[in-house]
Amino acid sequence: MFRIVVLGIFSLLAAAGAASAQPKQPVLTVYGAADLSFAFREIALLFERATGAKVVLVLGSTGTLAKQIEHGAPADVFFAANASFVDDLQSKGAVIPGTRMLYAQGRIVLAVPRGSKLRVERLEDLLGAEVKRVAIANPDHAPYGRAAQQALQAARVWDALKPRLVYGENIRHTLQFIETGAVDAGIIALSIADAPGVRHVPIDPALHAPLNQIAAVVKRSGRPELAMAFVQFVNGPEGRPIMKRYGFLLPGDF
Amino acid sequence: MDPFPVLLSFQVSLVATLLTLLLGLPVAWVLARRRFPGHDLVEAAVVLPLVLPPTVLGYYLLVVIGARGPVGQLLGALGIELAFTWRAAVLAACVGSVALLVKAAQAGFESVDRRLEQAARTLGRSEWNIFWSITLPLSWRAVFAGTVLAFCRALGDFGITLMVAGSIPGLTQTMPLAIYDYVQANQMREANLLSLVAVATALLFLLGLGRLARLRF
Repeated sequence: MFRIVVLGIFSLLAAAGAASAQPKQPVLTVYGAADLSFAFREIALLFERATGAKVVLVLGSTGTLAKQIEHGAPADVFFAANASFVDDLQSKGAVIPGTRMLYAQGRIVLAVPRGSKLRVERLEDLLGAEVKRVAIANPDHAPYGRAAQQALQAARVWDALKPRLVYGENIRHTLQFIETGAVDAGIIALSIADAPGVRHVPIDPALHAPLNQIAAVVKRSGRPELAMAFVQFVNGPEGRPIMKRYGFLLPGDF
Repeated sequence: MDPFPVLLSFQVSLVATLLTLLLGLPVAWVLARRRFPGHDLVEAAVVLPLVLPPTVLGYYLLVVIGARGPVGQLLGALGIELAFTWRAAVLAACVGSVALLVKAAQAGFESVDRRLEQAARTLGRSEWNIFWSITLPLSWRAVFAGTVLAFCRALGDFGITLMVAGSIPGLTQTMPLAIYDYVQANQMREANLLSLVAVATALLFLLGLGRLARLRF
């Protein structure tokens, strides 16, 4: 028994040693907002094929990623879901000033679980008695949550709806609340709304401040040219169709 | 499925558990055997990491060990990078699990009959020798149970690791972070598979070690 345990521990250590080996091709670490998950997985593959570089995607809430970049995270380029976090990083000297760029504009949609019998087509419909719980991303730090709050306020349903609101940590988390049927409806990004478990209708973009998404190259990046190339790739002939398919509006389209 | 998160998690948890033993056992012994001003404060401080929300704890750690933090700058001057490396994941796992080891070991040490230690002392044994020949052999089950708990907690750490090590695939993405990422990306097959691996290894580990020590968890 003892021998088996010792053997096990040693083989684990050997395996762990192998795990820390580094690949040799150039690696580009892309920090991106959660709403980009699906589009960026496709774009990263194309970029890898085009340049031979390896793309490592780190996706999360814009606020958390910005905090990590501020404290020295090994990101090469940061795609935020809005402008304020990039501006904040710029004022702290964490991103290269000339690289700040608008790369997309987001849209929000009203979504319900696919099997739902609810007829929810306008924001006012959320006040119906059969709608018990409504999910939005946390408006305190998630840009899409802030847009959802603005739209609900503009439609004059915010105050009445507030007791029914559930906050997702980020926009993907909010999607999960809807997909699992944990809530009756929710407001999410159009870019992630084509998930199998969800059906959705658009929300008038005039109801909220434009969701301008800003990217910038991180100051401590060891390969700023490759990082810039990735930003241009997203808005280039190969990235554009993918971004559009996932419901983003691109510079020049709005 | 990429096996990297599984291997990284084991590497991190093993190193973290060794480090936890190295740091936690002396603390547990001091808490069990010595009375000093601030004793209770230290005892409470050890448990604090269990009380604070992990991501909050992780954020404070990041502020200290990050590129702008005092410890981060000191290490940076020495050419060592800690935040956002696998070493940061080790630190996160240690912080999250050290309380479990210290409390279990402290209780174990306290249950040892002090007269046996006194007897050894009258025979001229050193404190170091007494610890290894009397205290630890009589309390090893408690220490062992604490070690296993600490290892499992290290294996499962999420919040602290997410903040200080990031969730960088192929670099710092441990098993719990990878599972979360798969769930978020709606890749439920991969998520379920990896969860199964996590649960199965933990079960095997607990059952195996439990049998080894004739312990029940």
